[in-house]
Amino acid sequence: MSTSTAKRPTVSVAVGTSSSDVSGIGLRRRLLLRGVTVALIALVAGQAVPFIADRFLMSLLLDGAILALLALGIGFLARHLGLISLGHTAFFGGAAYSLAIAATHWDWGPTPAAVFGFGTGTVLAAGVGVLVVRASGMAFLMLTLALGQALYQVCIQTAVRPYTGAFDGLQVEYDMARTFFGLEASEITSAGIFWRVVWVALVVSAFGLWLIGRSRFGTVLEGIRENEERMRFSGYATFGPRLIAFIVSGAVASLGGVLFALNAGYVSPETLSFVKAGDSLIAAIVGGIGTLLGPIIGAMLYIYAQTNFNASGNLHLYTGIALVLVLALLPGGITGGLTSMYRRFRARLKGR
Amino acid sequence: MNVAQLLNGLAAGSLFMILSSGLAMIYGLRGVANFAHGALYMAGGYLAYSVASHLSFWPALLIAPFGLAVIGAVLELLFFRRLQHRSHIETGLVTFGIAMILERVIVLIWGERTLSVAPPPGLDRTISLLGVDYPIYRLFVIGIALTLTAALVGWLRFTRIGLHIRAASHDVETSAILGINVDRVSLVVVCLGAALAGLAGTLAAPYVSLQPGMGAVILINVLIIVVVGGVGSIGGAMGAGMALGVLQTLGAVWAPIVAVLVPYVALVVVLVWRPTGLTGRRI
Amino acid sequence: MRRGLIHALGALLIGGAVGACGSSGTGVSAENQTIKIAIIPPSTGALAEFGSAAAQAWEYAVAEVNAAGGVDGQKVELITMETDAQPATTLRAAREAVTQKGAAFIGAVMTSPEHGALNRQLEGLNALSFNSLGKDDALTGKDCRPNAFRVVQSTRMDLNALGQMLDELPGKKWAIQAVDYSTGHTSAEIFKEAAKRAGKEVVFEKYAPLNTTDFGPYISELRDSDADALFAVEYGADGVAFVNQLAQFKLIDRFKTVLGFNMVSEPLFKALGDKIVGFYNNVGYDVNADNELNRKFVKGFQEKYGEQPYYVHADNYLAAQTLFAGIKAARSADPGKVREALEDLTFDSIVGKVTMRGADHQLLRPSYLGQVVKEGDGLAFKVIASADAAQTSPQPDPACRMR
Repeated sequence: MSTSTAKRPTVSVAVGTSSSDVSGIGLRRRLLLRGVTVALIALVAGQAVPFIADRFLMSLLLDGAILALLALGIGFLARHLGLISLGHTAFFGGAAYSLAIAATHWDWGPTPAAVFGFGTGTVLAAGVGVLVVRASGMAFLMLTLALGQALYQVCIQTAVRPYTGAFDGLQVEYDMARTFFGLEASEITSAGIFWRVVWVALVVSAFGLWLIGRSRFGTVLEGIRENEERMRFSGYATFGPRLIAFIVSGAVASLGGVLFALNAGYVSPETLSFVKAGDSLIAAIVGGIGTLLGPIIGAMLYIYAQTNFNASGNLHLYTGIALVLVLALLPGGITGGLTSMYRRFRARLKGR
Repeated sequence: MNVAQLLNGLAAGSLFMILSSGLAMIYGLRGVANFAHGALYMAGGYLAYSVASHLSFWPALLIAPFGLAVIGAVLELLFFRRLQHRSHIETGLVTFGIAMILERVIVLIWGERTLSVAPPPGLDRTISLLGVDYPIYRLFVIGIALTLTAALVGWLRFTRIGLHIRAASHDVETSAILGINVDRVSLVVVCLGAALAGLAGTLAAPYVSLQPGMGAVILINVLIIVVVGGVGSIGGAMGAGMALGVLQTLGAVWAPIVAVLVPYVALVVVLVWRPTGLTGRRI
Repeated sequence: MRRGLIHALGALLIGGAVGACGSSGTGVSAENQTIKIAIIPPSTGALAEFGSAAAQAWEYAVAEVNAAGGVDGQKVELITMETDAQPATTLRAAREAVTQKGAAFIGAVMTSPEHGALNRQLEGLNALSFNSLGKDDALTGKDCRPNAFRVVQSTRMDLNALGQMLDELPGKKWAIQAVDYSTGHTSAEIFKEAAKRAGKEVVFEKYAPLNTTDFGPYISELRDSDADALFAVEYGADGVAFVNQLAQFKLIDRFKTVLGFNMVSEPLFKALGDKIVGFYNNVGYDVNADNELNRKFVKGFQEKYGEQPYYVHADNYLAAQTLFAGIKAARSADPGKVREALEDLTFDSIVGKVTMRGADHQLLRPSYLGQVVKEGDGLAFKVIASADAAQTSPQPDPACRMR
């Protein structure tokens, strides 16, 4: 794996793979096989967690896994395109609200409502993406922030109260007899049981994003990230790949939103708020957007911090400090820091 | 549309104007979207509250902006200067973190309650204006904002340091080559921008009430104003700020949904159709 | 690839560390020696002072009952959790309190959205919740739940009480300034009906979004109308801003009556000052109510905390009273049995004889109209009129189907 250790890791340029290691079909297949193996092991290992953790810890892990989906989406975009988004909560919350509206107002069962929610979130991502992907850097950040907050404002208007419940939020209600992939309502709200579904979603999403990142398409994305003009001069269209990457990251966030709505049974405007947008971004950055799994770790840490610090009201004090420290001192985030530690350790082992 | 509503709009716009001029200056020179601007505004308001409770409102008008200038100096020396070789987004995110820290520290010091500051005795009456009774304090806010605007524009246009600021905002490297002390100019700009935010907070204290969410609420609007007006163009930001104030106020009574969505729609339209902003340069 | 494994290992390590840090062990069943009640008041944010008032009241109630030997022979233990009034945080605190610490009863939860989210989980947690602060009608309406009991009056009950007393208030042409929120709209509807019945006219109706700080536009419109009385539904920071700005525009003197709904209350007296003398407002609790239990409560509270209780204290004390009455009637602290015993239970309380209606789990109690008067160098409410539950809530909400 060749990486340029001379380049200081920054937020917009991830310490990621360069295109040179995707060489030769043989290597590709071995890589793929290894990836599938890791994913399968993770999938199976995760199923065992409810037997080890108690009810309270289980609920924390579940919340963390759902937030991880949102952070994963944000991280993917940041890692492969160097774009920082403050608007992915629009897809997370939009999917959640769509599910709630379908279930409560239109009497759909949980499964069709979930599909509808996921679909709406992805379509939203497409719509926003079309407006947004031509921009980059600060413009992209502002646009995603503005559009995300615009959706928040729309949802709290009294005019749409019959649909969204405005500030009061919306309960997710469906016929008790109907099931979600065989799970009943009481099982969906139970952390230990619903964890299996969420874990599968998380592993599959992470694996999918990993595949995309390692593929030809991922290489194109990184080329765009490094130098978009050159990509265009080399004959690559840049709008299409950026849009697709945006939609994919939005879809992962929507998946998180759907699972959130099902589990909590209640959707409130807080899922669309500026605070949540900031927190999910911070979770991704602190975890480390240079890596695939960084955002997941960041999300788990955030939930842990939230549990311990939220009551004193100092949660945002600590997340703010964490963000500043990470950006100033540890730009790769925690996983970035671990990676460079590991690499230095290995280099020392090699006797350099 | 009657006179009172127009005046309401001008008053709201005045606050936006003062805030956005400060942010535009910082953004134009340092290239940083200062996400901590809302927190600075909040700090100004709360400082003014303390000064007003111990002394009176008038000293607060000087002390709070001065205190904020000190905070601005800290921001510049400790963060912006050190991070100037990093990407703008990273620095922006750092200010985001600083905003969260500052807002929490303010609440830890002053508490979670809503605080009010009474307008000073000279200004707490109403005056009959074109057949309408209107609070003098709001007229005072409008007056200060307009005077400040004129002074700021004049200062930038006609003084030496104003020239340096404009040059550095246009092209930092060339200005440095030409011998302008960019670091010193930056310090002036950031301190001034922070002081303006503090002044806006002080003026806002008797106008609206002080509460822990006030920074976050106003931040998005001010960021949008600066981008729409044109990054680096202080005049553009001020104009956009006044326009937004008037639009939101008039819209609030007639069509609340429209009034609320105006800034967002404006931002999307501008960034997609005319990325240089209505008057200024590209981000 | 190896990097990926490193990260996976790292994640497992962190997960393990978190797991080790988190307390292990399942909760203790509530049937043992003590009755455990978890209170989850907001400890941060604008509601923090109401939260600490709620906690004070529960502490007082629990200390009082333990001093008398406990309830049904068992001692009561109060477990205080913290939250920032967001549903997700409160839910997590509730889960922790029930699964880790063995609580079977929950109180002092503040806002209606928190209750909405919590109520859904109560059956799964096998816990009962006593709502003393969330007034949203839906909590005993379409969102009612078997394990949730409401002790405070609902919005509709308070509004109906105000509506009944409307013809006693001066002013023929009324203006409505309300918050653009469910409470605001419900209030306006009920007010309009009541105005029609009382022969009053509504000439102005405007809504301001929640978290409005600049009421100038609304106040200017208000001035241009020909209203001679004002019904205002703006609360918290919005209420303070609205009243202060109303004073700045010198509009307060123009109105013969300013009637607030949830707008002026004891904690805001200092922030608002003398300009609100003469304002009317709904009052949930009459501190001067003339019954033995109330006199004892007010006296004891004043001795212990040095101030008179206001409605937040009273409603939370009442929630404790309700719980204890249920346990006594059931002769058990098992949540299922207490729930059954509470349905249609009548008992004596600090607000008189009250009944917990079984159909919607709403406590039936009177509501009052009060006026702000100067008392000493501060302000206080003087209760002008009252309406009892038969008038304010003659029937349960048909939308409540206790599932």
